[in-house]
Amino acid sequence: MIQSKNIDFYYSDFHALKGISMEMEAHTVTAFIGPSGCGKSTFLRLFNRMNDLIPGTRLTGECIVDGRDIYARGVNVDELRKQVGMVFQKPNPFPKSIFENVAYGLRVNGVGDRKFIEQRVEESLAGAALWNEVKDKLKKSAFELSGGQQQRLCIARALAVKPSVLLMDEPASALDPISTSKIEELIHELKKDYTIVIVTHNMQQAARVSDKTGFFMLGDLVEFSDTKKMFLNPDKEQTQNYITGRFG
Amino acid sequence: MSKHTGQNIAFWIFRLLGLIVVGILLWILGFIIWNGIGVIDWEFLTEAPTDGMTGGGIFPAIVGTCCLILGSMIVAFPIGVMSAIYTTEYAGNGRVVRFIRIMTDNLGGIPSIIFGLFGMSLFVNTLGWGDSILAGSFTLGLLVLPLVIRTTEEALKAIPDSFRTGSLALGATKLQTIRRVVLPMAFPNIVTGLILSIGRVSGETAPILFTVAAYFLPKLPTGIFDQVMALPYHLYVIATSGTDLESARPIAYGTALVLIVIVLIMNILASILRRYFGKKVKTN
Ligand SMILES: Nc1ncnc2c1ncn2[C@@H]1O[C@H](COP(=O)(O)OP(=O)(O)OP(=O)(O)O)[C@@H](O)[C@H]1O
Ligand SMILES: [Mg+2]
Repeated sequence: MIQSKNIDFYYSDFHALKGISMEMEAHTVTAFIGPSGCGKSTFLRLFNRMNDLIPGTRLTGECIVDGRDIYARGVNVDELRKQVGMVFQKPNPFPKSIFENVAYGLRVNGVGDRKFIEQRVEESLAGAALWNEVKDKLKKSAFELSGGQQQRLCIARALAVKPSVLLMDEPASALDPISTSKIEELIHELKKDYTIVIVTHNMQQAARVSDKTGFFMLGDLVEFSDTKKMFLNPDKEQTQNYITGRFG
Repeated sequence: MSKHTGQNIAFWIFRLLGLIVVGILLWILGFIIWNGIGVIDWEFLTEAPTDGMTGGGIFPAIVGTCCLILGSMIVAFPIGVMSAIYTTEYAGNGRVVRFIRIMTDNLGGIPSIIFGLFGMSLFVNTLGWGDSILAGSFTLGLLVLPLVIRTTEEALKAIPDSFRTGSLALGATKLQTIRRVVLPMAFPNIVTGLILSIGRVSGETAPILFTVAAYFLPKLPTGIFDQVMALPYHLYVIATSGTDLESARPIAYGTALVLIVIVLIMNILASILRRYFGKKVKTN
């Protein structure tokens, strides 16, 4: 389970997130929607501490992953990032072979056993619904894959280190409709084993894949509820307007 | 005059200027080859100078220059690459780094004779290495350090951040990210920096003048504390201060040709290397 308690976040002087509290249960998919620049990515990046890489940022409040405040003193950030995987908007495989891309997370964590790595690579590629397409060309460069395959490779790469949470920032926005629906199916599958948070600009996608949806605007969490309710009968007028495309 | 004609004229001027540059380059090359090729034979490449440097070969100078290239790269490359890694990957863009950058650029603008003096004072005298390959290599190494740092920095900056974040997001440490993702990707361009530095090092005369170069030393070096002859200095000597300048002239051109060929071979070697590794770490 992941949870945020009263999160305020600043880029230097800019107040990007304003008092956000929410709870995402294990084995659910939560979608974040909202107009561009409202802070969805910023909020997502809090949970694997990727915002730490941006100089001049400041945070108050608590971020809890599996019962632990991840911003507490003494938290090992590298360990956290194994536990909380991330998939980016643009597929970003390494300039290595397909096999080595998936094995990367294991290798940097000191796993050397070849049999184990081979097995985990196969498992992860299968988990990302890519194994059948690439099993005969594992030694080929990852760049020879299509954009959609590359994105599933990046998902496989994240799965290989056995995270419990998967953060996805517009994972299908750079993909064609067929690849997109493959990723959506995959999210459905992965839900059994992972807690998934996904940012999307595509309302239908949010409605299709998520159990709960959070609507952000200008750094506020305007509404957070069951996806069904959100899309059929939202509490706030702002939400209604955004979903029906009246602004945004 | 129509816009179109104007553009055409501009285009032809640019093209002409480009051709002139290439022409001058080929002219220089042709001139050296034309005048130097006559003296080049097996003896010239494998024997020491004789007859007050109006005869014999230039073998000791070839060996000396190769020693200095190798030595100065061993000095400059690790230091240069590591400081570039520090400034681009670790240090952010604060005051200290900007200061380091400005100093590095300034270092690159210092005339090479100053490096020669500095090298003599520090390596030859203070550290007591004497005129030696060691002192010469350190002096030349310092000279090309800014070049190595700059080209390595550019190579590292050319790697998109998405690869770094991708690696960090998998729980890799910063060092692992640099070693396993960033450096292999930047390697081909870092090698380009190496090529440039080798070109620079092999042609410099001033820095080796007081630190290593011997006027006439037919014996080959046996250790890093030996003096050596070097091609650019040898060229200078036989062109200006021999006993019989006229009859040494062909040898001077021959020496120049060998120097150019060595640089050329280095460049070709490095670009083969670069292509090979470029394939291995192919980016899209
Ligand atoms: N590195 C940064 N430095 C300063 N401000 C930033 C930085 N990244 C984002 N911001 C600002 O924080 C706000 C939220 O940005 P964020 O990227 O989280 O929005 P988003 O909801 O993900 O938008 P999009 O839908 O376009 O991806 C924006 O106003 C943005 O300008
Ligand atoms: Mg975003």
